[in-house]
Amino acid sequence: MRIAVLLSAGRHRVSAHPAPVPVELQAIRLAAELGGEAFGLHAGPAIGPLHDTLGHGLPRLTHLRLAENDDPAPSLADALREGAFDLVLAGRSGQGGEDAGLLPYALARTLGLPIVADAVALAEGPQPGTLRVEQALPRGARRRLVIRLPALVTVHPAAPAPLPFAFAAARRGDVETRPGIAAACAPSEMEERPYRPRPKLIAKAAGGASAAERLKAATESASGGGKLLVEPTPDNAARAILAHLREIGVLA
Amino acid sequence: MTNAAPGLSLVILALALMAAAMMVRRARLWRIGRPASVDWLAGLMALPKRYLVDVHHVVGRDPYAARMHALAAGGLLGGSVLALLALVPPLGGLRLVWAIVALAFAVAFIGGTMVGRRRLPVRPARLSGGRFQRLPFLLAAYSGGALLVALDATLGGILGPLAWAGLALAAAGGLGLVLQIDRGPMRHAFAGAAHLVAHPRPSRFEGQRATALLPLDLDSPRLGVATPADFAFNRLIGFDACIQCGRCEVACPAFAAGQPLNPKRLIQDLAASLQPGATNAAYAGSPYPHAREVAGVGGPERPIVGAGAMIHPDTLWSCTTCRACVEECPMMIEHVDAIVELRRFQTLELGATPPKAAAPLVEMRYADEPGGRPLKARTDFAAGLTLPLISATGKAEVLLWLGEGAYELRYGRTLRALVTLLQKAGVDFAVLGEEERDCGDLARRLGDEATFQRLTRENVATLARYAFGRILTADPHALHVLRNEYRPFGGDYEVVHHTAFLDELVAAGRLPVATLRDVSATYHDPCYLGRYNGETDAPRRLLDRLGLQRLEMERSGKRSMCCGGGGGAPVSDIEGDHRIPDLRMNQAAATGAAIVAVACPQCSAMLEGVTGERPAVHDIAELVLMAVETAASRQAEAVA
Repeated sequence: MRIAVLLSAGRHRVSAHPAPVPVELQAIRLAAELGGEAFGLHAGPAIGPLHDTLGHGLPRLTHLRLAENDDPAPSLADALREGAFDLVLAGRSGQGGEDAGLLPYALARTLGLPIVADAVALAEGPQPGTLRVEQALPRGARRRLVIRLPALVTVHPAAPAPLPFAFAAARRGDVETRPGIAAACAPSEMEERPYRPRPKLIAKAAGGASAAERLKAATESASGGGKLLVEPTPDNAARAILAHLREIGVLA
Repeated sequence: MTNAAPGLSLVILALALMAAAMMVRRARLWRIGRPASVDWLAGLMALPKRYLVDVHHVVGRDPYAARMHALAAGGLLGGSVLALLALVPPLGGLRLVWAIVALAFAVAFIGGTMVGRRRLPVRPARLSGGRFQRLPFLLAAYSGGALLVALDATLGGILGPLAWAGLALAAAGGLGLVLQIDRGPMRHAFAGAAHLVAHPRPSRFEGQRATALLPLDLDSPRLGVATPADFAFNRLIGFDACIQCGRCEVACPAFAAGQPLNPKRLIQDLAASLQPGATNAAYAGSPYPHAREVAGVGGPERPIVGAGAMIHPDTLWSCTTCRACVEECPMMIEHVDAIVELRRFQTLELGATPPKAAAPLVEMRYADEPGGRPLKARTDFAAGLTLPLISATGKAEVLLWLGEGAYELRYGRTLRALVTLLQKAGVDFAVLGEEERDCGDLARRLGDEATFQRLTRENVATLARYAFGRILTADPHALHVLRNEYRPFGGDYEVVHHTAFLDELVAAGRLPVATLRDVSATYHDPCYLGRYNGETDAPRRLLDRLGLQRLEMERSGKRSMCCGGGGGAPVSDIEGDHRIPDLRMNQAAATGAAIVAVACPQCSAMLEGVTGERPAVHDIAELVLMAVETAASRQAEAVA
């Protein structure tokens, strides 16, 4: 099986130093444990610390060189088409940089591949050419799917931890650099701001309530609550959302 | 004059030739090792001193063993050499010569009896059985038989057939001893001598601590040690020098805690794997506690570590690098160096670090800090205190290195006490603030030499920008690394531990202290301060200045027991029966002291983690601050 792992130029969550993205290192581990040939793929101006991915169990890495601010999608789509991969793995969302988490979807659309999000485990499927994917759902739930390859799968942070770094393996690993396809990014109206952790919505924490009541409200909200609708009609779903918004006082 | 006496000389000659052949055969195996630069001449010249002074200093800690060894080895060698000399015609005829030979073998016989008395009827757990258990009989047979022959020659042949029986006994016993040169206890005699000559850390014999790990060339084709052939040849000699006395196993904290490490067994596994087609079957000492299943096979070019090899990885990761085994080893074997070299291969080549140890290594690579915490937050412990940054002025008399402990709430209290004391004494000090990266100790002990060297180079470059007299630190691990392990990377600093520095300040009268009456404390020596750097006096002197009642634990000073916090052991987290800090805390509680005085963030964290009824844990800085504040309040009372 030929597996491509898409790698983005990440930054460390605290130090902001250039660093590989942890969830992509987890994708490398899933690829390594699935067996088959794994290839790293990065489109961007420089390879930087992505060289370290070779120490986490990735044998080879292709760097598609782009100018600063070029759109990586056409280069990656071209390389993926040319490489005839059975499986393409990507992180669920990157960290910092230009990675909004939309790229896997854009690529899947361009290449006409099915996409499955949030995998935590991969195994060979019951028939040749299929893949068994364990998908992470909210609140620790898991769903097992069988998909037909080729496909694009994004990896969830709840997947097994990355393989430990081996300095010598990174030193031995193979990096091939070739020019990517120059493509200007679509102009974006998006505004960029530093990340700010949002306070949690504390349900019904009425002002003036006692400390014990506020604590109860806070812990209850943290432990979920709410209502689970299974395959609701759009109408019912909308009604439930509106009811919830009214309940917490967002809508009058 | 019977004919038995020249017979003895001839038998000994034959045995000596056989022994030489056996030694050469074993020594040829050492040549598989990597080359190392050894000053043979200096080593040979220093051999008598290294043996008689340095080795016997360690052996003498067990006076019975020292006497036993002096008698057995001295008598055996002296008698054998003299009996060989008797082959020279005029000497062989002299009764006096034979009288001396008889005396020497009598001494050896007494030594051999002592060997037996130590092992029989019940063999202590730390001593090995198997071939080792046969040793007293062989010694007794050889020396007793030779004694009969020599006595007969001295007395003019009155023993008759008894002398011939003695000769037969001596020949049989001697043959047994010679056959033990290859794999048995007698190997230590010649390998030990060779080890003392070609020792990888010769400065240990010149009064230096010589405990710094040696840098690894990151461009070499194979990083660390995978097979016996990857060790330097003089390391291989060291493994062969082991006499399996088991002092290391008694001292090892991981062994005591039931983790799968026994330094003696480790060295034996390494020595065994030299042989082509090696197995570990001949070992007859205590096993690794809860030994993990391994194939137990090896060879010069075969891997040492792994379930299919000699040593299970969990054994390597159990080590706290406390050097207690090295300190106790009478043969001066360097166990910790071997473990770190094996770990380097596991980490750098295989990426086989224990899962929980991988995370701090990643954080150190991208955040310069094992917890992945912001470097700026390192000074958060000092909220409310003024902590001068060296970047503001560019210079300070004393640079305070905070270390990893600064992030921890408990240890922050210690650092606050230290900073307060420095301010009270008017010391011109400053910290690096967010320019301080991790010192790299953890990375290096976990075998990640690449990260250690990067952090070292960056710290050295940072320190080069500032002018300071000394580096002060409360973390012995940082102290050891900054003082001893940065030198090959261009970092040569005078580093002082806070206990020594506070001792200076109190002695100079810059910190007026009151006596803390009715307080009893026992001092727990940090391995990296006591054993690694030989600093055991200053902390005790300082405690005495505070006037508290100082009690000593059974294991203290350079022979102190580890808290379990070194060498990355807390992050490797190998399962055992007990926790090492619990064992140490029990020893502290046994003194009856109310306080365990510590001087290291690791010890502080490990010992504070002990649950239940126990003495309180205080860093010495906190005790000094207590005494200084008591002095101030007493003075205030006196004025009022």
